Amino acid sequence: MEDVVSGAGSMLMGSLANTKSVKKPVASSLPSISSSESDTDERLLIAVGNHQDRAAFNALFSRFSNKIFAMGMKLTRNEQLSHDLVQEAMLTVWQKAPLYDLDRGTAQSWIFTLTRNRCFDILRKMKRQPATVSADDIWPQEGDVDSQLVHEEEGTMKVEVSKIESFYSRLPAAQRAVVEQIYIHDRTHEEAAAALEIPLGTLKSRLRLAVGKLRQMVGTEV
Amino acid sequence: MNIDARYHPTPEQLEGFAQGSLTPGMNVVISAHVEMCATCRKSISELEESASEEWLRSTPDTRASSINYSAMIESIVDHPQIKNDSAASDNVSEIHMLDHSVTLPRALAKVASDGLVWNRLAGGINQAMVTLDDQTQCEFLYMKPGSQVPVHKHQGSEVTLVLDGSFEDDLGHYKPGDFVVRTAKDLHQPASEEGCLCFAVLDSPLTFTKGLARLLNPFIRYRFRRATSAAAAL
Repeated sequence: MEDVVSGAGSMLMGSLANTKSVKKPVASSLPSISSSESDTDERLLIAVGNHQDRAAFNALFSRFSNKIFAMGMKLTRNEQLSHDLVQEAMLTVWQKAPLYDLDRGTAQSWIFTLTRNRCFDILRKMKRQPATVSADDIWPQEGDVDSQLVHEEEGTMKVEVSKIESFYSRLPAAQRAVVEQIYIHDRTHEEAAAALEIPLGTLKSRLRLAVGKLRQMVGTEV
Repeated sequence: MNIDARYHPTPEQLEGFAQGSLTPGMNVVISAHVEMCATCRKSISELEESASEEWLRSTPDTRASSINYSAMIESIVDHPQIKNDSAASDNVSEIHMLDHSVTLPRALAKVASDGLVWNRLAGGINQAMVTLDDQTQCEFLYMKPGSQVPVHKHQGSEVTLVLDGSFEDDLGHYKPGDFVVRTAKDLHQPASEEGCLCFAVLDSPLTFTKGLARLLNPFIRYRFRRATSAAAAL
């Protein structure tokens, strides 16, 4: 059904593949069996990303929405949730299409991973699991870890250390002494109370206050 | 943060991770390993490719009657697109140890961002539990230099990812990035000469997933936790 565009698709693929470096194995090992079809998907996705091509988006929608719905039914067994999954996954396809390039692998794999990720988040909500981690924390952002590692390694570290230190120094002296005993000298509550010559109960309440305050300071500044 | 890890998740675990079929707890620990290990990152992209092929091949192309396609498309294309990847997270990305701090992989940084409450266990072990789902028990473990965990056995299987320092048991010596899998059969006695920060995930021995029996789960989990922490505190 997509024969009309598959020729153009493979030309585009060819030219892009030539200009991109071949450092990533995924892009260079596209499956050869269904290559004309996947060329089409890549071409469509790039058209959506480059110039908000509505016709290309319609084509992707009709190719993938039923598959996404089926994945939703398989994992949630709930029609409404599966419907939401189609909405959210296809919305992500639209929004993130400008970030897609052939280095990220095939279009179908890219769409699969973002569907899997939206599905993980939907399931987590359904099971009322703690919202501690979302799919985007677990799987590299729709496919690219390396660029992110660079961001992370550059900077956050010093900032955090000095931040914590400044919070710590803002505690009242009595609370600071308790935190120092427990977290810096690594003493037990009993040992710390003995060292500071205060009752255990007093130590515990000071510690509770101090930790509460630190948490508050971290919470308001971050 | 590329490290030559010598111990990796099993092929089944990597496949489950790529397919999205694992528990949040297991996903988090594998994610942290994968971020540190270029070899597993490469496997994951390959597994995602084949999972996507399988998905398209095996899914019947039945049209979902409940979807109003044109309305949905209309509502989607109204949204602005995202032009640059501004994914850098603001999470606290490190843990402070006694004399230095350890940069955490992204998923774990997120897990730790709510704050960790450390409990002291016997043998120089400190534990900070985090709840990620109701099927696993997840915790950061800090073993002080020279510490030793009493011999213990697990009911389920246990995965331990080394984040900093190292530990050893009868079967090997484990360094940062190493992903150590122990099953119920294994009896082991980890010890750490230089001190070690790990993230560990234990499968719960038993969870009911259907009907009224689910009411039992909180009690089973409670006993499970008591059992595992008692074992470590012996």
